[in-house]
Amino acid sequence: MKIFRLKSSLLSRLLALCLLPGLLVGFAGCSPREEKESAFQIVTSFYPMYIITLNITQGMDDVSVSNMAGQQTGCLHDYQLQNKDMKNLETADAFVINGAGMESFLDKAMEQLPDLPVIDASEGISLLGAEEGHDHEGEGHEEEEVNAHVWVSISNCIQQVENVTSALEKLDPERAAQYRANGDAYKEKLSALRDEMHRELDDLPNRDIVTFHEAFPYFAEEFNLHIVAVVNREPDSQPSARELSDAIRLIQSTGVKAVFAEPQYSESAAQVISNESGATLYLLDPAVTGEDDPDAYLNAMRGNLEVLKQALA
Amino acid sequence: MDAIYALIDTLLPFEWTEFDFMKNALLAVLLISPLFGLVGTAVVSNRMSFFSDALGHSALTGIAIGVLMGVDNYLLSMLGFALLFALGISAVLASGNSSADTIIGVFSATGLALGVVLLSASGGFAKYSSYLIGDILTVQPQELLLLLFILIAVVLVWVLGYNRLLLTGLNEDLAAGKNIRVGVVNRLFAVVLAVIVTISIKWVGILIINSLLVLPAAAARNLSRNSASYHGLSVVISLFSGVTGLILSYYWGIATGGTIVLTAAVVFFLTFLLSRLRRR
Repeated sequence: MKIFRLKSSLLSRLLALCLLPGLLVGFAGCSPREEKESAFQIVTSFYPMYIITLNITQGMDDVSVSNMAGQQTGCLHDYQLQNKDMKNLETADAFVINGAGMESFLDKAMEQLPDLPVIDASEGISLLGAEEGHDHEGEGHEEEEVNAHVWVSISNCIQQVENVTSALEKLDPERAAQYRANGDAYKEKLSALRDEMHRELDDLPNRDIVTFHEAFPYFAEEFNLHIVAVVNREPDSQPSARELSDAIRLIQSTGVKAVFAEPQYSESAAQVISNESGATLYLLDPAVTGEDDPDAYLNAMRGNLEVLKQALA
Repeated sequence: MDAIYALIDTLLPFEWTEFDFMKNALLAVLLISPLFGLVGTAVVSNRMSFFSDALGHSALTGIAIGVLMGVDNYLLSMLGFALLFALGISAVLASGNSSADTIIGVFSATGLALGVVLLSASGGFAKYSSYLIGDILTVQPQELLLLLFILIAVVLVWVLGYNRLLLTGLNEDLAAGKNIRVGVVNRLFAVVLAVIVTISIKWVGILIINSLLVLPAAAARNLSRNSASYHGLSVVISLFSGVTGLILSYYWGIATGGTIVLTAAVVFFLTFLLSRLRRR
């Protein structure tokens, strides 16, 4: 009997211990759910989609836009889903993704949210292969057969704006007119910029460039630039000695004048290549990180225009 | 620098030395590998390999702190944190409450987790992932000078303090009996290790830095008969693995740091077999 009592008291103490953290957290965790602050909540997967959606919903107080991956995350190559992301998605009325394999890590999570309307911004855009025109030694992204950096071309970005706008019109018919007006205004700005860039860039003599990572094929296609080599396809590693010297020899033999690194990644390898080959190092921004500003994409592209004018002249 | 490059061109007129970055990498290997060979002997004989591993991991936290403070050069924040980390471990160790591997494990896990949390909070892990595997191919001439100074300093420390360090590693009570201040020696060694690991981590990489410390010395231990041959062999094996790994990685197009470590591992198993054969 005594043993039993001892046991039970030990047991109850253990139980109490286990419950303690729950109680402590309870004060915060059991607070009633926050009421939806806005009538229509849109979640975007990462920065470029965020900027597009921000423009389409400009001036609409009852629509909220939140960005899942945060403004500085960049491409979702190494993104890990966090608790708050799932929570965000559960209350969302629409989820805007880039598509083309950029959010492939989300497939599992999406199975749990079958009712969430997903807007694939890349629908109908013809996609380039991940290794278009380059030799590649095997170690590719298996899951990414197509190049996902669709938005870097302004024309594709316009198409994405159109896709998101028309999808939002259908999902939220009450505010359809406003989405349309904003979307069209943004498309207007984008195509004005595209025309300006064509005017400035089309006559520049040098068309050959070397880039790091796979961000620029769509951009190059749009402005008729020729990507001679992509030095480091894998953003998570450093190029090997063989890749570095091949790139240097290629630059020397083809007379490429400009090497483009991206502000999102370490530029030490680009610096080495530029030093050895005599090509100048420039930064080209794929507009994948930046400020919380609707004009961020336009500004990034204007910056790229200035850089390219200097680099290709 | 140009004179050294010209010398390399005359001595080694091969394809792999064609570009300056490979010359720089070769020089870096020639400086780092004897350093690691030398210090590794004490790491192995004082049973500190887990400690140096933890130090390597702490570099990530140092980088994260540097990012948060907005400094451009992470060397200072890494160095600061590694020193704090090393002295923290030796202080807790000296209190003698738990066994060494437990304490080091606790510190290592805490440091790494803190680094991951801080870096992921500030967004963009990708920019720092080069620290994981290192990029010896991007070493700059002024950084080579820094490595040269470190090598000289470590050789000096070794010449002056090796006997005391050896005795402390063998038996602390015996060392204390010979009027050696065991605590000071241990802490000094921890500081030396922290400095070396931190400074070379950018080129060697967090994941493999410890292998470079441990493998050459462990291989040398298989063969050596006395302290002098232990040190000599360790430095030679380290140099051999470094240069061989660098050349192989160039021709095979594979990661340099990993190739150096694999070469050292092959040497280790060869010496292991050799010592077994000899003992029969």
